[in-house]
Amino acid sequence: MNNMTITKIYYTAFLFVNLLFFNGCEDHQLKQPRESGLEPSRQTGESGSPVDREFARELARELGREFARELSKQLKEGNSSIQLDSVFSTSSVQIDRDPDSLVGIDGRPHPLLAHCSEDVLEFYQNHTDCFTIKSLQEIPAGLNWKDGLGEDEFSSPDAKRGGTWNVFMRDFPRTLRTIGPDANGAFRSYLSDYNALSLVMSHPNSDGYYPGLASSWAIADDRKTVYFRLDPDARYSDGKSVRASDFFFLFYYMRSKHIQAPWYNDFFGKDKFLKVTLFDTHTFSITYYKAKPDVVERVSLRPVPEHFYGELDGEYLNKYQWLPEPTTGPYVATPENIDKGKSVTLVRQNDWWADQKKFYRYRFNPDEIKVSVVRDYNKAFEIFLKGEIDMFGLAKTEFWYEKLTDRNQLVKNGYLSKVTFFNQTPPPSYALRINSQKAPLDNQNIRIGFHHAMNFKLVLEKIFRGDYVRMNTVADGYGDRSHPTLRARTFSVEKAVEHFAKAGYTKRGPGGILVNKKGEKLSVEVVTGYKHFEDVLVVLKEEAKKAGLEIKLKILESTAAWKTAGEKNHQVIFSAFNSFVELFPRYWEPFHSDNAYQQDGDTKYRKDGRLKDNLVIKTSTNNFTQTAVREIDHLINEYREEESLERITELSHQLSEMIHEHGVWVPAWKKPWLRIGHWNWIKFPQDWGPKETRDYEEFQVFWIDQSEKKTILKAKLAGETLSDQPTVRIYDKYQSN
Amino acid sequence: MIKLNPLTAKKLRRFRSIKRGYWSFIFLVLLYSLSLLGELFVNKRALIVSYQGEFFFPTYGDQISGKKFGFDYEYETNYRDLQNKFEKENSNDWLLMPIVPFDPYEMDYANESSTGFSPPSFSAGHFCGTDKTERDVFARLLYGFRIAMTFSLGYLLLTYLIAICAGSIMGYFGGRTDMLGLRLVEIWANVPFLYMVIILVSVMPSWWGTGWQVSSLLLIMVLFSWTGMTYYIRAAVYKEKARDYVSAAKVIGASSARIIFRHLLPNVISTLVTFAPFTIAAAVSSITALDFLGYGLPPPTPSWGELLKQGVNNLRIAPWIVISSVSILVLTLTLVTFVGEAVREAFDPKKFSTYE
Repeated sequence: MNNMTITKIYYTAFLFVNLLFFNGCEDHQLKQPRESGLEPSRQTGESGSPVDREFARELARELGREFARELSKQLKEGNSSIQLDSVFSTSSVQIDRDPDSLVGIDGRPHPLLAHCSEDVLEFYQNHTDCFTIKSLQEIPAGLNWKDGLGEDEFSSPDAKRGGTWNVFMRDFPRTLRTIGPDANGAFRSYLSDYNALSLVMSHPNSDGYYPGLASSWAIADDRKTVYFRLDPDARYSDGKSVRASDFFFLFYYMRSKHIQAPWYNDFFGKDKFLKVTLFDTHTFSITYYKAKPDVVERVSLRPVPEHFYGELDGEYLNKYQWLPEPTTGPYVATPENIDKGKSVTLVRQNDWWADQKKFYRYRFNPDEIKVSVVRDYNKAFEIFLKGEIDMFGLAKTEFWYEKLTDRNQLVKNGYLSKVTFFNQTPPPSYALRINSQKAPLDNQNIRIGFHHAMNFKLVLEKIFRGDYVRMNTVADGYGDRSHPTLRARTFSVEKAVEHFAKAGYTKRGPGGILVNKKGEKLSVEVVTGYKHFEDVLVVLKEEAKKAGLEIKLKILESTAAWKTAGEKNHQVIFSAFNSFVELFPRYWEPFHSDNAYQQDGDTKYRKDGRLKDNLVIKTSTNNFTQTAVREIDHLINEYREEESLERITELSHQLSEMIHEHGVWVPAWKKPWLRIGHWNWIKFPQDWGPKETRDYEEFQVFWIDQSEKKTILKAKLAGETLSDQPTVRIYDKYQSN
Repeated sequence: MIKLNPLTAKKLRRFRSIKRGYWSFIFLVLLYSLSLLGELFVNKRALIVSYQGEFFFPTYGDQISGKKFGFDYEYETNYRDLQNKFEKENSNDWLLMPIVPFDPYEMDYANESSTGFSPPSFSAGHFCGTDKTERDVFARLLYGFRIAMTFSLGYLLLTYLIAICAGSIMGYFGGRTDMLGLRLVEIWANVPFLYMVIILVSVMPSWWGTGWQVSSLLLIMVLFSWTGMTYYIRAAVYKEKARDYVSAAKVIGASSARIIFRHLLPNVISTLVTFAPFTIAAAVSSITALDFLGYGLPPPTPSWGELLKQGVNNLRIAPWIVISSVSILVLTLTLVTFVGEAVREAFDPKKFSTYE
């Protein structure tokens, strides 16, 4: 046994030394070790095939490592051999390695990547244009490092830690992964979005940033590269520090086919994130493909713990299905706190690394978050009224006005609060999108007439009881980037009829619907996938009759509706996209002609700017309006290339106006507030929450007053009143007009 | 014209003697005829307008622009406003509104504060209240009844037509035709009906217009449900064709078609008739169910299913929707079933049954 090991060591040592010498030679002389004595391979050309070389290197590395392992084992066992030792040391002395390359010519990885597995290292090596290592001296001097500590805190110093926060989800999560199939459920927010930190966090009350995992950051002169210094305290929940190399690994992970997430593969693609450079264990930079004013936000990523995954393989989905990834955030899901099919309890880490840091010290207050499954929404509401769920969204009119009235005992006695909080955030883009290519809507006059025939005022008044307000532009809610004065066209029979008349629809037919000279009725089909907004469309339809416009409603399953629109088969579709909280809106996806027709750029247009015939429609894009206007295209191109925020603002206003003129987008409504009900043992800061709050769970600035909870529950049992007025509150600090 | 044989005539006489069924039948026919003339009772258009010495009858025909009666708008006159105007001006002009002055599509936002779901009120003219968008529930029930019944009758006619043809061919020719036909029917009957309807309805282009859409929905339903009746017809024809009168007709040289339609059909019709009311009941329930699920008639066509859905979703806020729509549904189905029972009894060959 011992003999065998010794032989093996000799053999591997021999090979190892051999290979090191080969490595020291010119690259093209490299050959596979087993072929070292054969002539033919040399005759094939001056270099072996790349595969051969790759294989040789890999084998060399493997053998080298095995050798080192064996050696150390032997040394530990006291079986050391001076011979071997000297061989090893002589060979290392001869190495002449480049300090910045990922893998030295000796086949050993750079110290910053020493922990990487083969597969991961190979990935980096295959993409050396993306992954580089430089020395600290190469960080440009004179960078303007920021730490965001000058921003105001948005939480309250009164906050108390402790208690269990009870929430519900509609369905048990199908996995605890946050990436890959089935991972995009509602529960993901608790694990990731509302919990884990990214490098830099965008401040919800200002346009600035506050520190996340990075304690400071700086934008390079090219405005594309951002340098980050990780907070030395930053740790994962398993106690391991966050390393700069985790941001290398992030790309290995996100671009891997094993995660089965094409969206992420694409989002973290080479074309968007050009380069990651490591300087030391805590300093690195990320280069974005374009210099954008909000580049910090775009490259502010969440690390992926390399020590947890090692490398990915086909087993990824199965292995991590119920094994939560260590998180940088306060709350941890552990397998013992999962009651399959019923609830998941997230527990706050006692020694969370950011616990006492500014921006975090008064947030994430409850000790536990218990997320229980309640499949029926109405049932969840009843459970909320019993006090077993602490908060409940009351955005729906029926809940606010009918099911939990101000006269309700719970509200009247002061156990439960109804809160309206005005926020400022880009709203989902509810709008009627007019396909400008389908007759008769290819006529601008018809489109504008259509705008004037839509009685949104009545809809807002009667169906939404004045709770919602009219959306005015294609990009509301983006601060200064939104057009300040542009207003949506209002309902007016006269103006509608006037525009329809310009398009040739002058006479009223027998049913009061306008007809043109050819006898064609002015009839438009409106498609939607929103069954719950049927009443809205019915009102619009009936009112449009007054303007002589017939609307045919087609209410479909949502997937069928999206498909219709994707294939551009609709005339008008009523739909909405969720907007991201971003600095400036996106125009390219919904309004650039490259998303309307397959022909490229300006080749679509004739000299006078009109569209050519025989253009091929581009399907499956978000340009549901089939907008193709040369001037708009040019502006969007400029907008996309533009780097100065001032000019971007200007262009954004100009684009909003032009699209308004073009008349393809009838803005519907936006919800300027958040409306929730919560038990009064949940306490909120004075302003309730930061300006950009989109969801009451988002910033977690509230806390639980446990003694008050006892008082309220006791009072509820005894039927005592705790307040002389119904607890209905309105926070309108951030109300815009 | 099919001449009823004395036996059938006798059965009809017996039907008339079964009072409950007979009166149900009369009542249903009356209700349906009334609904066909629904525009005269439930309508937003006035029946007669006397304006500046001229008479207008707006109920049927083209809509009359508001300008004609001195309003400043060009779209259709709001006759309720016109009535108020006449009263206010104290002029000699007058108009006569139907009993329920609303149509099923119109939203009555006359009351400024109304935000849907107004409870029943005689003063406002909403006998059964209003729905979420302030449409009159009574009007929607009535026009919903008309559509459901017309739909069911069409369904009945078409399914029976196909079933009679297919069933008689199989039964009369027998042998291989029967064998092959029956297999085809069995296969066809196994196509899941509801899924097919859902799929086909979702691909129906809406530029067809409501009429076409309703007809195509009818056709789709017929297409997947005619098979049930075929078996009965086939069996009845099998039985009848062995009779001497069929052989006699054959000997004389009558064609197969003549034998089937002139000689066999009057004799198998009793089988059909006993099934008819139940087919109607089934059709009414299935169109209501489809509407309830959202795969039926295109919105905003008045329909019971749609009303039921609204009612169920807003049970606490607007109980009158569920109450009225469930009552009318139960009433209709009960009447139809009474008729069905009576027909079945009348067509039972054994007048006196002894039960042991």
